[in-house]
Amino acid sequence: MLGSGADRLRADVNRLLAFLFHQGILDEQFLQLQQLQDESSPNFVSQVVNIYFQESEKLLRNLRSLLMERKLSDYKNIGIHINQLMGSSSSIGAKRVRNVCVAFRAASDQNNRTGCLRVLEVLEHDYCFLKNKLHELFQIEQQRILAGGVGYPMQN
Amino acid sequence: MATMHRVVQSSVSTSDATTTSYDGLTSCKAADIVISDQFPAGLRVLVVDDDITCLKILEQMLHRCRYHVTTCPQAKVALNLLRERKGCFDVILSDVYMPDMDGYKLLEHVGLEMDLPVIMMSADGSTRAVMKGIRHGACDYLIKPIREEELKNIWQHVVRKKWNENKELEHSGSLDDTDQHKQRHDDAEYASSVNDATETSLKPLKKRSNSKEEDDGEIDNDDPSTSKKPRVVWSVELHQQFVSAVNQLGIDKAVPKRILELMNVPGLTRENVASHLQKFRLYLKRISGVAQQGGIANPLCGPVEANVKIGSLGSFNIQALAASGQIPPQTLAAVHAELLGRSAGNLVVATDQPALLQATPQGPKCIQVDQGVAFVQHSVKSESSSSKHFSQSFAPVEDVASGFRSWPSNNIGTAGPSNSGGLSSQNGNMLIDLLQQQQQLQKPQQRSTVSELRRSINVQPSCHVVPSQSSASFRAGNSPVSVTQNGSYSRTAVIDYSLLSSQSNCPSLNIGQVSDVNLQTTGVLSGYIPPASVSPSVSSCSVNADNCASQQVQTSSMTFKASRHLPGFVHSTSNIPDPYGSTKSGDLLNQEPFNNLGYINKGTCLPAKFAVDEFQSHLSSSSHGKVFSENIGTRVKQEPSMEFGDNAKVGIPMLQQFPPNDLMSVFTE
Repeated sequence: MLGSGADRLRADVNRLLAFLFHQGILDEQFLQLQQLQDESSPNFVSQVVNIYFQESEKLLRNLRSLLMERKLSDYKNIGIHINQLMGSSSSIGAKRVRNVCVAFRAASDQNNRTGCLRVLEVLEHDYCFLKNKLHELFQIEQQRILAGGVGYPMQN
Repeated sequence: MATMHRVVQSSVSTSDATTTSYDGLTSCKAADIVISDQFPAGLRVLVVDDDITCLKILEQMLHRCRYHVTTCPQAKVALNLLRERKGCFDVILSDVYMPDMDGYKLLEHVGLEMDLPVIMMSADGSTRAVMKGIRHGACDYLIKPIREEELKNIWQHVVRKKWNENKELEHSGSLDDTDQHKQRHDDAEYASSVNDATETSLKPLKKRSNSKEEDDGEIDNDDPSTSKKPRVVWSVELHQQFVSAVNQLGIDKAVPKRILELMNVPGLTRENVASHLQKFRLYLKRISGVAQQGGIANPLCGPVEANVKIGSLGSFNIQALAASGQIPPQTLAAVHAELLGRSAGNLVVATDQPALLQATPQGPKCIQVDQGVAFVQHSVKSESSSSKHFSQSFAPVEDVASGFRSWPSNNIGTAGPSNSGGLSSQNGNMLIDLLQQQQQLQKPQQRSTVSELRRSINVQPSCHVVPSQSSASFRAGNSPVSVTQNGSYSRTAVIDYSLLSSQSNCPSLNIGQVSDVNLQTTGVLSGYIPPASVSPSVSSCSVNADNCASQQVQTSSMTFKASRHLPGFVHSTSNIPDPYGSTKSGDLLNQEPFNNLGYINKGTCLPAKFAVDEFQSHLSSSSHGKVFSENIGTRVKQEPSMEFGDNAKVGIPMLQQFPPNDLMSVFTE
């Protein structure tokens, strides 16, 4: 019972991961993250991802307020924010978010405010999607462990 | 857990030592790395990144590599940490864009204050950004996301740096002048001048010289990159201390350690002295060739080698030289004369300045300038314009002479032989112009003259710019231009030689173009070189000139030479004590082209993964992409904002419909 529950949950985790990879939401860097998790850091992935969420939300809020300014001229600052978001997103393997950042950077380089706003919306949307999915992933993973499964990376 | 907690809270956290950290390194010691069998385990890494996510990931990865990791989200705190705990870190990983301090600034500080390899990281993998990192002296540039494999290899930068330093020590420690000389020759020929550059303590400072020259040698630890070594500014005073120490010990017995003790300069390291000594020895060797003819025993001279080229001073009164009693100044003068390539007739002007060589405290040694000068006179072809300049500038000659004298510059030595290679009047013109420029400055004059000399010499063989032709333009008060020019050449030296060769004879044009290239590659001298490319015009030159003013003169020539057949110059330039700062830049430049060669390749390879172009390629990969970019750029109004709204509403299901990578379709829908 326990075993089958854990197995089922593990299958759910795998399925979700496969979906995320297939959709281009995540990439292999996420696998690197998973590999960094071991006995000495059993919750490494969720720790890092949570930090990422905190930092990214700050960045996104800043970006929005910067772009909403009546007189927007500090594209350099925007660029820096974007760069950081891009760096952290790519570091955890958030491929789609990172790609949107690339588009964002292009718009910002052109000092295109409207374009930036549009991309920001896409970014916020994709980021929310990613966050939801990763939360879901962690939830299933938690359940799986509780159900008796071993922590991932799931190597048997 | 605890680690993460600390990371989040405090500015600095030290992660637990990895399982195999080795004891010697966990405590703060002097910078020597002990290569234990567990190496590179235990390598002490400092990671600086304002992005906590990346910081955390890197920390974990470095742990996996069995390194000893310290993380720090703030650059200023990191710098303080480095200062407090000197010798406690082996390598630094730093992000480029940080809110409190630019990563490049941190790079510079680390380079100046502590000689540690710095690896830069950024999500920006554009060639431009990587180039900038290289120019600022980063020994590597990693593009995020960083993989563990990339981190595994960072120890190579530490080792490389150490080995280069050791190699330099071996050289300077050797008392075998012949060997040294031989090696010098080889080194001089080409890229080994890079070794000199890297070895040494005489590196051009990144900082402006002015504030430092009076010090007893500021020891500026130069580039943070592993390839660059700490640079010492060998000011006139410092050099004189050095020379007196050497004299006390006797040239044959002068060992860096003893010299260091005698000099008793705080902050000066044995390595600094060693490399300086090596250069000094070479210098003496070269000039001793002349002195020997005079049969004068000079304690400072090592085995005298017949230097045919120097001997070919010909019309110069070598006997007079010999008779003057002090070899260094004489040979110095002689070489100087050679250097000037018989064209610096105007330099002769200084003939009547017996006080010329009084710069050094070692009075007796510095004499006979007049004689030396006389030689110069003979050797000089007069250029009307130059002579005009010159007649007004006695000081420069003096400076040159004293400058030569005060530094054991190998340049001079090498200048001899290379001169025979064909210094033309052009050199003289350049020189004159430069010298004139330097007039106003006291010490800077000296330096600049020397550097100019060097420069002019350097320029000659190696670049297509014909100084004589350009002298007119230079003369127009643009002597800094020539400086700059050299500077640019030196920078691009190896790399852009082909570029140079293909250019027209228009000097300014060359300069401009060279500058363009240079600007891209250099940038280390950073505040001086305008980042923008310089258009081939005098104005651009003058911009450079302003920037280069006191500095890069030496460096430029040096580097340039390195690329060509005047390795000696390159070598010597780096030797030039540069209280003025030029040497620093010179050395920096010297090393740069060579160091950068490797790095540049690296740099260009790295971005392949994530080049800015990626965006473009991404776009192009999706047919919609192009439309997207277009939309963003121009048809803003047409941008389907509604689409976004739709997407938002549709949410997840919609996403599921999209092909994974067709992000741009969102915009074009």
